[in-house]
Amino acid sequence: MDQIITAAVAVVAVPLVLLGYIVLGERVIEALPDRLQVAIRPYFWALPAIGFATIFMIYPLVRTVIISFRNSEDSDWIGFANYKYFFTFPDTLTSLRNSLLWLIFYTSISVILGLVIAILLDRVRYESLAKIAIFLPVPISAVAASIIWKFMFDYQAPGTPQTGTLNALIGTIGHEPVAWLINSTTNNAALIFVGIWTVTGFCMVIISASLKAISTEVLEAARMDGANEFQIVRLVVTPLLWPTITVVGTTMIINALKTFDIVYVMTNGAYDTDVIATQMFSQLQHSHYGRAAAVGVVLFIAIVPLLVVNIRRFQQQEEQR
Amino acid sequence: MSAEQVTTRRESAVGAGVSTLDRLGYRLQRLPLHLVIIIFCAIWLVPTVGMIINSFRGVSDMGNSGWWTTLFPPHGFTLESYQQVLAIEGVTPSILYSVLITIPATVIQLAIATMGAYAFAWMNFPGRNLFFIVIVGLMVVPIQMTLIPVLQFFQLIHLNGTIMAVWLAHSGYGLPFEVFLLRNYLGGLPREIFESAEVDGAGHSVRFLRIAVPMTIPAIASLTIFVFLGIWNDLLVALTFLGTSPYRPFTVVITGLVTSLGGGWQFLTAAAVLQMALPLAVFIFLQRYFVRGITSGSVKG
Amino acid sequence: MAEVFARLSSRAIALGLGTLLLVAACSTGGTTGNQGASSTDVTVWTAWGGDELKAFRDVLKPFTDKTGIKVHITTNRDSTNQIANGIAAGTDLPDVAPGPTDPTQVKSWVSKGALKPIETALGSDQFKSYIDNTYPALTTPPSGQSDNPYIGVINGKHYFLMVKTQVKGLFWYNKKVFTGTAPKTFDELLALNPSQYGGAKNIFCAGFESGAASGWPASDQIDNIIMRQSGDQIYTNWIQGKVKFTDPAIKLGYQTFLKEVSGSTVFGGSNTALSTNFAKAGDPLFNSPPGCLFLEQATFIANFFHQNKGVTAGTDFDFFAHPSMGKTEFDGNVNGFYDQFSMYNDTPAARQLLQYLATKDAQQIWANAGGTLGAIKTLTYNDPIYKRAAEIANGAKNLLVTAGDFMPSDMQKAFWQSLLNVTRDPGSLDSQLKHLDQVQAAAYTTS
Repeated sequence: MDQIITAAVAVVAVPLVLLGYIVLGERVIEALPDRLQVAIRPYFWALPAIGFATIFMIYPLVRTVIISFRNSEDSDWIGFANYKYFFTFPDTLTSLRNSLLWLIFYTSISVILGLVIAILLDRVRYESLAKIAIFLPVPISAVAASIIWKFMFDYQAPGTPQTGTLNALIGTIGHEPVAWLINSTTNNAALIFVGIWTVTGFCMVIISASLKAISTEVLEAARMDGANEFQIVRLVVTPLLWPTITVVGTTMIINALKTFDIVYVMTNGAYDTDVIATQMFSQLQHSHYGRAAAVGVVLFIAIVPLLVVNIRRFQQQEEQR
Repeated sequence: MSAEQVTTRRESAVGAGVSTLDRLGYRLQRLPLHLVIIIFCAIWLVPTVGMIINSFRGVSDMGNSGWWTTLFPPHGFTLESYQQVLAIEGVTPSILYSVLITIPATVIQLAIATMGAYAFAWMNFPGRNLFFIVIVGLMVVPIQMTLIPVLQFFQLIHLNGTIMAVWLAHSGYGLPFEVFLLRNYLGGLPREIFESAEVDGAGHSVRFLRIAVPMTIPAIASLTIFVFLGIWNDLLVALTFLGTSPYRPFTVVITGLVTSLGGGWQFLTAAAVLQMALPLAVFIFLQRYFVRGITSGSVKG
Repeated sequence: MAEVFARLSSRAIALGLGTLLLVAACSTGGTTGNQGASSTDVTVWTAWGGDELKAFRDVLKPFTDKTGIKVHITTNRDSTNQIANGIAAGTDLPDVAPGPTDPTQVKSWVSKGALKPIETALGSDQFKSYIDNTYPALTTPPSGQSDNPYIGVINGKHYFLMVKTQVKGLFWYNKKVFTGTAPKTFDELLALNPSQYGGAKNIFCAGFESGAASGWPASDQIDNIIMRQSGDQIYTNWIQGKVKFTDPAIKLGYQTFLKEVSGSTVFGGSNTALSTNFAKAGDPLFNSPPGCLFLEQATFIANFFHQNKGVTAGTDFDFFAHPSMGKTEFDGNVNGFYDQFSMYNDTPAARQLLQYLATKDAQQIWANAGGTLGAIKTLTYNDPIYKRAAEIANGAKNLLVTAGDFMPSDMQKAFWQSLLNVTRDPGSLDSQLKHLDQVQAAAYTTS
């Protein structure tokens, strides 16, 4: 019972406290000389966010970097040995290759689908309903999604009734059942497809929110000028959505690199489907903290260029407004 | 991205005084559009519908035949799986705990993220880009690497095992993406609005609270859905930071549905349906904020 | 306007801050752990769920009725990691939970004082009778050694309390189909002609799929082969990483295993073996015509037969023990595994709980619920299957653990998946073994 009270108070108190923080803080800042104001204000506003990030992410990141140079008993420095392991060990190399596949296909297809679906749905009356359909896989946990797709990919011996939807479908055209998750040619694609299936709704919702902010006047003007629908999408809508697409794309790239649940629950990386995160997990389980840390650091470094691109675009955005 | 009073696209496309034949032609033209949408919806719906149907079937049925066989008699529907789920000890309170964990954590992090994003988007300060890269880049850090240091921190301030620790942990882990998305949205708001407000004597707090936030509602609404979802479906953070506390959310209690060997996995279909019900409801409820015109009336030209 | 706003906010702030502080004070006082209530409450973490959990609650009922102690059970499949994190960060640990399977972790946790001795929990009298009544292989290191981390014995002290046992490597058959005598050797087993028995298609059924743990049934099969082919010394050394995978003994084990899953011997071919979930792997035994003659699996599969196909143990199906691999000196090696609890907080309630779980009465409830053997030798089993299995456990010279479960987790994953890979591509055996050696070299080191 006290939990409920705590929660209720938190829900009310936190926004109030932040409100007070902003209002009172601003009153104090406004009383300061101009130059001091401009210098202090940004830190004041960003302090809660930076504070949280420091405790929960920055300090652990620093610790991770340090651990990546030590052995798993944390008793000795071993230089770049963990990094060397990561880049030369065949298992980790396979996982790198697979993560690259995820990076390319998962990201591009889910962003493109999200964009296309958002644009298409914007044009029909039953948009809300269709949105729910596409969004439906998103709230499903990875374990549940794996159950769903186990039903879809299920394989029974040839000649026996198929319980898997896909094998039943190809059975109707006389094709032998396929062991989707075991066969090397199909398994990575199958897993990546499940990933895309679960996340397209997310891309669609975020892009749709930005799509709605595009004024119809702009679109009408383009139509007046004689542009057809395809041209409008290509030359007017997409450029306006580009900032959001970049954000969604970056998030998808990070998601692709971090993909763990789907691969873990469906195959745990068997039959060459391993990805970076599942590799790392098995290292962690055996307390190879150093190796797991090295992977974390490599991932962080890998996305920094991506973020620099984002920063550049934000700067463009600022120049334009 | 300017904000204006708008008319729906459909109205502008099909004006008054159009003949029936024209309307039919218009509809036919749109047939491919509808077809494509329906195909997409089918691909996205069918697997989930399959699972939902399976959740109403008996255990042995599920293992022996595909879900589509229920469309023909004998249908074999049963509430067996749901009964199993609801019979787990402590399952009903766990739904409450899930709510108690999710709502405050969502509110906390969205509030902090919006403030921080506003600062990154509209204020210039040294180290701004560096901070931003670090905060957003942290999205990639695997959460397992942060567990021990964060546990030590909570130990220091005596919060381990409390629900507040879970709120703070979720907030910390969720902030990077939220700051990222909100900065993008906030940064795209037109400068003129803020400038005219500044001219009118509005300080930063007013500009933030009465202009920036209302105009960011679509982004905040869409974020709310995903933040809510992420916390609602979470298992690891709850398990780690609640430690030995007996107040466990739904996700933790559900693991007790299946034996350590995986026996009883069929009941998970019912658990999954129950678990996705609330986030789905939140999504449907927040749909109203995804309409054009929510940011109406605040700008001229 | 801004003035009104600010004034309003100031009051709200005061209220908000005040309540927040109050709340923080309340919540930290209220729910952190159960330190003050340690003689009336005990927290238990377990990997059990579903029917296992139900059986556990049934076992606990007499205990809670008699002592009034509240047992807070949480199903936690990640408990080893969480406890490891907890030890490193100094947070509260559960009172009772399974101990780690990794030998290095066992030693490390003992040296850090996280694991408390069972001797302390039970007291010397009950501890002595615990040792006397439990299967010796579960509590006594091989003679001449003071340690066996696999059963939680470090420096002569015990840190695992054994409560349940399973026997593995049993060959299950449909009594109405296989009417012959149990083959005594593996060669005899392979020489059987399935079509003679009710038109069965293949000798074996197999199902290795198990979600994230896929491959463990295959590991059971090869373990039972190796321990009987090459003996317990090589087997135990292999688990510890002291015998390579390319060693002739292990390679021979793989080759023998492949005979059990070849296209001609296993029902539906290798794809079916790989795709079928272990719980359903035995269903073809009861089809008509039968898909296969035998399923090699542990004692717990009897429950799944009953659930899936409605058949009864003893009347419809039975098992025979793993046939000899031809080396009689190794025939006494039996594969089993156990469920155990360790004590992490030495509280009166935790001690009482463990004392109760070590009694015959408690474990008899498990035996009556079916689906498992207890750890005590003298339990009675109504089920003929479990009665016989208990005899096998009793008569075993060495009850050996399952190899994969006690290897470092990255080694375990590679090992299990190597079995899946060779089942899919038998020709890849040599490259798989070489790869396993690489993993082994890296897995057992500490960097």
